[in-house]
Amino acid sequence: MTQTQEHSPTISQSEGRTLESGEREYMLDVRTTDLEVNMGPQHPATHGVMRILVRADGELTTGAQPHLGYLHRCAEKIGENVEWLQYLPYTDRYDYLAAMNNNLSYSLAVERLMGIEIPRRAMMIRTICAELNRIGSHLIAFGTYGLDIGAFTPFLYMFREREWMMALFEKICGARLTYSYIRIGGVFNDAPPGWLSEVERFCDTFDEKWQEYVDLLMVNHIFVKRTADIGVIPKEMAIDFGLTGPMLRGSGIDWDLRRDMPYELYDEIWKSGCFEIPLGTGERGTLGDCWDRVYVRVMEMRESIKIVRWCLANIEPGPVIADIPKTLKIPPGECYVGIENPRGELGHYVVSDGGKVATRVRVRAPSFVNLAVLEAIMPGTLLADAIAIIGSTDIVIGETDR
Amino acid sequence: MFSLAFAPLDAVRTAAAQVQGSQINDFLGEVKPDFVPGWAVPLTAAAIAVGIAMAIVSLIAMIGTWLERKVSGHIQCRYGPMRVGWHGWLQPLVDGIKLLLKEDMIPKGADRVLFVLAPAIVLASVMAAMVAFPLGPGFYFADINLGIFFILAMTSTTTIGVVMAGWSSNSKWSLYGAMREAAQVVAYEIPLGISLLVPIMVAGTFNLIEASNGQGGGLGIFNWYIWPWVNPFMLPAFLLFFVAILAETKRAPFDLPEAESELVAGFLTEYSGIRWSFFFMEEYAAMFLYCVVGSFFFFGGFESPLTSIARTTDVNVLIQVAAATTIILKGFAGLFLMMWLRWTLPRVRIDQVMTMGYKYLTPLALACVFGAALFEAFLAPVLPWRS
Amino acid sequence: MDFRGIYDRLRAMKAPGMTGCDEPREKNPEDKKDKGRFGDPYVLVEPALLPAFLDAVRMDAHLAFEMCIDLTASDPSTDDENLWVIVQLLSLTHKHRLSIKCLLPKANPVMPTSVPVHRTCQWHERECAEMYGITFEGHPDPRNILLPDDWVGSPLRKDYEFPEEYHGISCK
Repeated sequence: MTQTQEHSPTISQSEGRTLESGEREYMLDVRTTDLEVNMGPQHPATHGVMRILVRADGELTTGAQPHLGYLHRCAEKIGENVEWLQYLPYTDRYDYLAAMNNNLSYSLAVERLMGIEIPRRAMMIRTICAELNRIGSHLIAFGTYGLDIGAFTPFLYMFREREWMMALFEKICGARLTYSYIRIGGVFNDAPPGWLSEVERFCDTFDEKWQEYVDLLMVNHIFVKRTADIGVIPKEMAIDFGLTGPMLRGSGIDWDLRRDMPYELYDEIWKSGCFEIPLGTGERGTLGDCWDRVYVRVMEMRESIKIVRWCLANIEPGPVIADIPKTLKIPPGECYVGIENPRGELGHYVVSDGGKVATRVRVRAPSFVNLAVLEAIMPGTLLADAIAIIGSTDIVIGETDR
Repeated sequence: MFSLAFAPLDAVRTAAAQVQGSQINDFLGEVKPDFVPGWAVPLTAAAIAVGIAMAIVSLIAMIGTWLERKVSGHIQCRYGPMRVGWHGWLQPLVDGIKLLLKEDMIPKGADRVLFVLAPAIVLASVMAAMVAFPLGPGFYFADINLGIFFILAMTSTTTIGVVMAGWSSNSKWSLYGAMREAAQVVAYEIPLGISLLVPIMVAGTFNLIEASNGQGGGLGIFNWYIWPWVNPFMLPAFLLFFVAILAETKRAPFDLPEAESELVAGFLTEYSGIRWSFFFMEEYAAMFLYCVVGSFFFFGGFESPLTSIARTTDVNVLIQVAAATTIILKGFAGLFLMMWLRWTLPRVRIDQVMTMGYKYLTPLALACVFGAALFEAFLAPVLPWRS
Repeated sequence: MDFRGIYDRLRAMKAPGMTGCDEPREKNPEDKKDKGRFGDPYVLVEPALLPAFLDAVRMDAHLAFEMCIDLTASDPSTDDENLWVIVQLLSLTHKHRLSIKCLLPKANPVMPTSVPVHRTCQWHERECAEMYGITFEGHPDPRNILLPDDWVGSPLRKDYEFPEEYHGISCK
């Protein structure tokens, strides 16, 4: 090993102090040099190509510094160079686990600028797709979290359900990961015959499986011991770092854009009282620890199923896309629209000068913002806890780097 | 390829001291032509023993990997290997060929000697331990009086290899893995050895075959040491022993030295090809060996209904085959249990591993030994079925 | 509270650095060149006083903008002599949002950092700094975040020229 290690204890003069009795007291510094470990760019726990420079004193991390940009694909620059509609497929690529939600956020931003009305059936299908994709995304988040903790099997069980979800999306739009299905003005096409009843079957099966996951992993003693009291984010810190989504709710802050700043049909759905906002409670450890964050995600899956059921019960025939021209000319102006993505608030800030191409497309990526908290909560934890903390932030590198 | 040649040689050296008085040794002594010097006999015997041990180790590793993939597959709602042979039973062979043909890589900046030596030491120690494993009551390489002691000593030598691997790889992840392995093994050797003292006390011997003989009768089942009527402290001792062997063999939930989500692959990070496969062979062989030790001292060893039936025929070959079948099946049953646990449980953290080893397992094991000793001293002599 | 209410409150409390607001309007049918202005309203703030403004609106009980959702910049066009720095604020208490725009001269894009007020600005400001060449004075960690450390130029500026090559890799 090339690492230099200082083993000899040294007395540092500067840290000496005079006691009241007149004696000098010195600190005996027996610490060895910290080890700098590059976690990534290729590391199983960084969920993509990210590098975290960890300073470690043995198993104890004394500092962590995320280095991003390995997956930077200039999404915002592209947004200023392609037409409004052409940019839509690029939105799929930031958070590739929740592409429907990304499409929705961008579409809503452009629609707000255009000031157009969306058909009700389109909004219903949008909501179904977004919530199904939220389930899929949370399944991955929970499954890979189990993987980080060392449980391999639940991950594959969750892939089984996600596979069905992707098959549903394949039926409705032909793609399995990057859908570009939610368009500016509505959705690309109507749901094929029988699709809605299959979604219903999915919901029925999922409820049962959900219980299985909770029993298998969520309340597993080792899992709880590994995640409870680890990586605690207090409420003030969560707000200071601008955390959103399950990270914020895991810290016990009751905030969900679907309820508090409703878009599309969520106001109506919330008022019908069919879903709740799960919050971290600290019942297994401290409020805002890793377990709470994962708990919020797991509970949210079931709430999403309820929303999908509500949409299935209330959906009516009708058009699915507003009448919009092929080449969009967006009236000049600017707006910011944030929606509740599985990872937090995904916002699009778009600026138009009245032309065919955007002046500015800014993506407010939840993973990017949530990741910043690592620097604050990782130091002082064990190396294994550091992995647990990274996993609990549930980042998608495509989104942090864009 | 240096390590390939080195491993058997090292094992020969270790085993040579132990095979004096083995069956092979006696047999060779009888058939030895006059011109062959006397000292060549134990050496040749040792070489043969090691050859067989190596074959057994590779065979166990092959069956072990296949079983692991099938078990994990079926636990995870999939099939596992299905293409090569019936239900993929030839898969380990194909994998072995692939590993042999892979480029032999030594990372830049690695300590080449230690890097090459590490897998050899790991494999050699487990092969040497294999020498003490009797396949039948009259079918063994070396009937060692301190058999269990020898096996424990040899298998814990693998730690040295692992630490060497971690240090020499010139990778921080490897170093972490090695340090974890060292800490973990030291912590769990103690409860492992102490919990084994309970059946050793009951059996009154360190010898595996004698321990097995002590559990005969009772239809081949009811005299196993594990039963509470033999000694009520045996079951807790076995549980402690099982947890300790999980930690010793680096199996989940104690797979911290490898911990693929934390340390990339721990001490294995820089290894590839045949050298990497050595570590795997060691892992499966050690698992199997510990399971066999467990069955010798807790689950009747050679004794089973099958052996009891074979005994009634009085045909020696049949008895040996039945005994060998029994012990191998018991070993693989233990292996299956370990795999089942691996694919079910998450991993514990290093401080939790240490706490568990030092603060809980060791005192509990000591308490078990104490209780068992009291039971053996005062109650066992008056129990009619123990006299 | 809607934007009008927020704006009135901001004026009443004399929010530091606020110079005015911009609200969407329909286009004037008589003026052919006028295209109108759509989307969200925003308030204009002096860049030098942005941290003070953020702190003031966070502390004010009627506004309570506790959370900074986004801080970004924009280059409206090559002709414009200003860069925009846009901040999105969110109040969890009162469930309202506020957009802030600062006009920052391209000739000297320097403004104080907002990290002491909202720590989330740390990474947002690093991104703005590398993408637009804005200097945030007093930033605790002024490194590039998405771009390599040795990247030349500010890629999201409208007048940015793509480099021919980067470390021997052709970029065109």
